[in-house]
Amino acid sequence: MLKNDNTKEMITTAETDLLQEIMNIAFGRATSDLAEYIDIFVILSVPHIKLLQAFDLPEYINKEIKDYDNVSVVEQNFWGKFKGNAFLVFPSGTGKRLISLFHGGDEIPDLNPIHELEIETFLEIGNILIGACIGKIAELLGDVITYSPPRVVVDKSIRGVVYDNLNDPDNLAIVLRTVFEFNEKNISGYMFILTKQESFAWLKTALNKFLEQYE
Amino acid sequence: MIKKILIVDDSPISIKIIKSCMPKDKDYELFDAADGQTGVEKYKELKPDLTFLDLTMPVMNGFQALEEILKFDQKALVIILTADVQIKAVAKAHDLGAFSVLKKPPARGAIAAAIKEADDALSERG
Repeated sequence: MLKNDNTKEMITTAETDLLQEIMNIAFGRATSDLAEYIDIFVILSVPHIKLLQAFDLPEYINKEIKDYDNVSVVEQNFWGKFKGNAFLVFPSGTGKRLISLFHGGDEIPDLNPIHELEIETFLEIGNILIGACIGKIAELLGDVITYSPPRVVVDKSIRGVVYDNLNDPDNLAIVLRTVFEFNEKNISGYMFILTKQESFAWLKTALNKFLEQYE
Repeated sequence: MIKKILIVDDSPISIKIIKSCMPKDKDYELFDAADGQTGVEKYKELKPDLTFLDLTMPVMNGFQALEEILKFDQKALVIILTADVQIKAVAKAHDLGAFSVLKKPPARGAIAAAIKEADDALSERG
């Protein structure tokens, strides 16, 4: 919950709507890139935008993915005027099915410790989906982004994974969330993009500038 | 000749953007709907000459809405305007009978060209 009603003014309904549309375009482009790389059809959903305090993020994400006990997460930080973290979240056990998508053949049997191929597969998917999505958002809003190398956490509780990334839990964050489904393998997942309070001023200006071209 | 245009999109800002891309020298009657289900209902009520249809929408998605519209009117001219530019999504829209597919964000030139194509198709039908 936001502590201060004034914070609701930080992003207007119109700006939220535009950000949602930009996320829609960006994730659409990212899935198209993925579909060129592997033979897959990704079923998209309407993205959701939410403004909340960073401290509340783990609880929010926990509620969103309540059907998953443990998760595998690809996480990548990005820097530009648009700055934050992106998380690609899959239910635990998805990696084995993803391997067969990327590398062909049947699902590989359970291996312990986590098979290197599973981590590589998550990294590849993360690179494509996160990179293309953030890249397209930045392109549409006139920014240039630098990325950290993606990091993969396999079969862990989401709380620890996300909480580690909250440098300042008192900050506000805009969460862009989209749900997707890999049709052929019956795999679904989430992408969360958390953008930090320090990007808000730029983001508002960039959104309004984007709209100006249509006036 | 195209007079009535229906825009079906769940994003109010997207509808506003699409309307702003319409050729300014034409006096189209523009209507809109916020999901596939409402879009189908408005299509049946208004019988527009041309429909712009998004794919990713709540209640009823664009693929389902396209099927319903074409079930009601086999000659419906429906342009898919979508962020879902996966090859399989575009192919599916064509297979279902979409007149053409445009990607978001829309460009004025692309919208004008698509409307002209649809206008030509309508004229050929007589």
